Amino acid sequence: MFLWIILACLTAAVAAVMLVALARGQKPSAPNRAGEVAVYRDQLAELERDRDQRLIGAQEAEYAKAEIGRRLLAAAGNADTYAATRQRSGTSSVTAVAVTLLVPVVGLSVYLALGSPNLPDQPLAARLENPGNNMDILIAKAERHLAQNPDDGAGWDLLAPIYFKAMRLEDAEIAYRNAIRLLGTSPERLAGLGETLIAANDGIVTEDARLAFEGSLRLRPEDPRARFYLALALEQAGRKDEARQAFEALAKDSPADAPWMELVQQHIAATGGEATPPSVAAVPRGPTTEGVAAAGAMSGADRQEMIRGMVESLAARLEEDPNNLDGWLRLIRSYSVLGETEKATEALNTGLKSFPAESDEGRQLIALAREVGLPVDGVTQ
Amino acid sequence: MIIEIGHYALVLALATALIVSTVPLIGARRRDATMMALAPVASLTMFVLVLIAFAALTWAYVVSDFSLRNVWENSHSLMPVVYKVSGVWGNHEGSMMLWLLILVFFSGLVAIFGRNLPETLRADVLAVQGWISTAFMLFILLTSNPFLRLNPAPAEGQDLNPVLQDPGLAIHPPLLYLGYVGFSVCFSFAVAALIEGRIDAAWARWVRPWTLAAWTFLTAGIAMGSYWAYYELGWGGWWFWDPVENASFMPWLAGTALLHSALVMEKREALKIWTVLLAIMTFSLSLLGTFLVRSGVLTSVHAFATDPTRGIFILAILMLFIGGAFALFAWRAPMLKSGGLFAPVSREGSLVLNNLILTVSTATILIGTLYPLVLETLTDEKISVGAPFFNMTFGLLMLPLLAAVPFGPMLAWKRGDLLGAMQRLYVAAGLALVVGLILYYVENGGPVMAVFGIALAFWGMFGALADIWYRANFGKLPFNVAWRRLVGLPRSAFGTALAHFGLGVAVLGIVMVTTYQTETVVEMKQGQTAEAGGYSLVFDGMREAVGPNFTEERGHFTVSRAGATVADVWSSKRIYTARRMPTTEAGILTFGFSQLYVSLGDPMADGGIVVRIWWKPFILCIWGGGLIMMLGGFVSLSDRRLRVGAPSRKARAAKVAMEPAE
Repeated sequence: MFLWIILACLTAAVAAVMLVALARGQKPSAPNRAGEVAVYRDQLAELERDRDQRLIGAQEAEYAKAEIGRRLLAAAGNADTYAATRQRSGTSSVTAVAVTLLVPVVGLSVYLALGSPNLPDQPLAARLENPGNNMDILIAKAERHLAQNPDDGAGWDLLAPIYFKAMRLEDAEIAYRNAIRLLGTSPERLAGLGETLIAANDGIVTEDARLAFEGSLRLRPEDPRARFYLALALEQAGRKDEARQAFEALAKDSPADAPWMELVQQHIAATGGEATPPSVAAVPRGPTTEGVAAAGAMSGADRQEMIRGMVESLAARLEEDPNNLDGWLRLIRSYSVLGETEKATEALNTGLKSFPAESDEGRQLIALAREVGLPVDGVTQ
Repeated sequence: MIIEIGHYALVLALATALIVSTVPLIGARRRDATMMALAPVASLTMFVLVLIAFAALTWAYVVSDFSLRNVWENSHSLMPVVYKVSGVWGNHEGSMMLWLLILVFFSGLVAIFGRNLPETLRADVLAVQGWISTAFMLFILLTSNPFLRLNPAPAEGQDLNPVLQDPGLAIHPPLLYLGYVGFSVCFSFAVAALIEGRIDAAWARWVRPWTLAAWTFLTAGIAMGSYWAYYELGWGGWWFWDPVENASFMPWLAGTALLHSALVMEKREALKIWTVLLAIMTFSLSLLGTFLVRSGVLTSVHAFATDPTRGIFILAILMLFIGGAFALFAWRAPMLKSGGLFAPVSREGSLVLNNLILTVSTATILIGTLYPLVLETLTDEKISVGAPFFNMTFGLLMLPLLAAVPFGPMLAWKRGDLLGAMQRLYVAAGLALVVGLILYYVENGGPVMAVFGIALAFWGMFGALADIWYRANFGKLPFNVAWRRLVGLPRSAFGTALAHFGLGVAVLGIVMVTTYQTETVVEMKQGQTAEAGGYSLVFDGMREAVGPNFTEERGHFTVSRAGATVADVWSSKRIYTARRMPTTEAGILTFGFSQLYVSLGDPMADGGIVVRIWWKPFILCIWGGGLIMMLGGFVSLSDRRLRVGAPSRKARAAKVAMEPAE
């Protein structure tokens, strides 16, 4: 409401300024020729100066003087090029009405179409004072706090999983590492770091991630999440038998209705084992599954979906900017992990267009392809 | 609420602009004093309203109000306040707001200082300014509105492009826009003259100061932009013939031509029609520059976000104003009376030569800039017209111009004496040649063209000094008398001499850098030494540092000459955290007019780092010359005579007193 009062005042002020100008008007005046006369007089004076400084010859100065003199006479004597201005009472009232209408009409119609009169100002400082339930602002506040007190381990510990949920993976990694550095290891922190690293590498269990899960498993030997990822690491490294044994052991130790069972069964099948059909009955999670609640928060299908989404976005990025060796290496590895050999081969061939097989980079691509078992004979020719 | 008030003020400014563009124009046709009187009041109102809008936007940036989309996209709460403020125009929407603010600022200036103009001329000029303002306000409101909101508001902004987080952003765009937009006043005067079908003497007096002011700012803006690119981009270059640079250089060349032709018109009423045409061309090139940069046709640091609707909108503005103005010119120009007569060899003649060369070189650059674009549109073939083309064509065109510069001020009006001028200049020519040769031997080697170029540079400088020397008549008159004559010279004479001297200085810098600069690319490990320009640089190693919104790795170098340590310098690579974008901050050491430029490259696997070291002899002369030219512009602007253009206040007051009964 207050806003509207101010806007109304502004409109009124603008219209009033115009109307006052129209009402006072300009007294009808004789045509303003004095300006020209002054200019010509000044030109004559300047001509004299130029002649003194020999910037113009004496004879030329005379000619120029005559030229200017003629113009001066014309300006002083000939007043009818400009008719005198008049005041027309009729037009001024029409103009006044037009101006009075135009200002509010244009102002309001355009503003109502474009403006957001209901949104208040939101300076950041004020929002940080009263964050309410706004998650982003809470994060921003925590970030500011941690920027001031970078050694507040509890803060990092709190922020890390939030970052992970928001898919701010680089920040999540930094936060987990800071929390571990300041507060020491814990199964949650290590597993969280491991998951962050896996997500940041498009689903690949990197060496760092594997170490994190091993640490987590040492602290809590039965943690199914750590066991699952360590098995996955074996699978991705091509050690299928060991992977299958690990998955089967995990399946055996888990309750039949555990939410990760479906995923585990898929991997047992993928590594050549026989999957027992997953139990369909959805039984509420018991208190014993507390440690794996985080891993279960995302169903197997979701997780697969997430990984696939990341791989696709990587592929799209590479299509735009193929000059990225790391990207190609990751894409080929990801496809072969997902079992999509055709796509992996295709990625290899496209990657080799940017990095020819003879180059160092090309050789890296081919070495990787051999490692993951792609047919490379055709491309090396 | 402040933001919404700003938004509304901008909309009201549009309503006011609509009034300014119509009512005074009708008034001028009907000779209606009341309607014409609305022009200055409405123009000033427009300025105040846009100022409110701009202030509101700036406030939103300073307090980091991310409910404003524009702030969210281009700011970050952790940026230093200076960059928050300059970040207002570090993006497309905000820079258009700055354009508009300066445009209505100039309208306001015309309204204030134009009290002495004939009423109809003033009304027409302000109305034409009103058209341009209307077009740009519509453009801003409909395609580039900085006042659009986000709900819910994000918690943190996306940061300003790190390359733009530099004091340069606070200086370069405002100066450049003061130049670009300043030419709008000349344009409005030209169009107003065409509408009226006559050119007043007052018109002639008015165009020159406005041209001079716009030219001065544009000179400073371009020089500043060039220096900024030089130190920030880390390439060691100062001019790349990049289309965006050309876009600012073309109005400058045309504006320089306009400045000189306006001089002839002001003094002798010759070249009137040509001046009108040049005024239209200069502002058209400014608009074209805006179009090229803002439409996204060109990609560069300046292009910010691109959007096809904006391109089409700007193209429409461009066609409307440029096409309209040229059509008006074709229709009305034959009705204008042409002015005084002059012989080919005369001050006027030399200025015509100046105009000829400047317009031809503008056309050359225009072709070089637009041809690749047109070719790509028509045939999909990509070519790049680069430095070799411009150096060949533009460079060659500049040679005769530079050679002719000292003659201009020496020649008499109407009919000059070339032989006499030469006699007076032979000292300058001799000195220039001698100094050129000395520098050649000092630098020990180099192509002959460089000697010629250096001589040409000193020719320009000594010629400018000789002009002042002979005007004051030193040598012939006793020193005291000559000194008094010198002090009594009009300021515009000093302005001319300064500007021409600055041109010589800039040419000297350009020739010296182009010919004698050295570039060393080495991989350095801690403790290793590299040589450049007679200096030894010892690499002392890298150190990590943290800034408000970036982290950096800084390399430290100790610089010594002949065994004695003379300076030390940091050169760094930064990563801006919000955008994860790296920038290089070159380490630059100044020795006299020359500079040592150290830029860090990529780290190597074995712990070394690639370091590029340039020795840039006399490079500061390039921008120093620009600054001297700018100074010349200001000195000339302060000339008392420029204010005589219309009757002085006193004369007017006397006139009013004579007719007390109205």
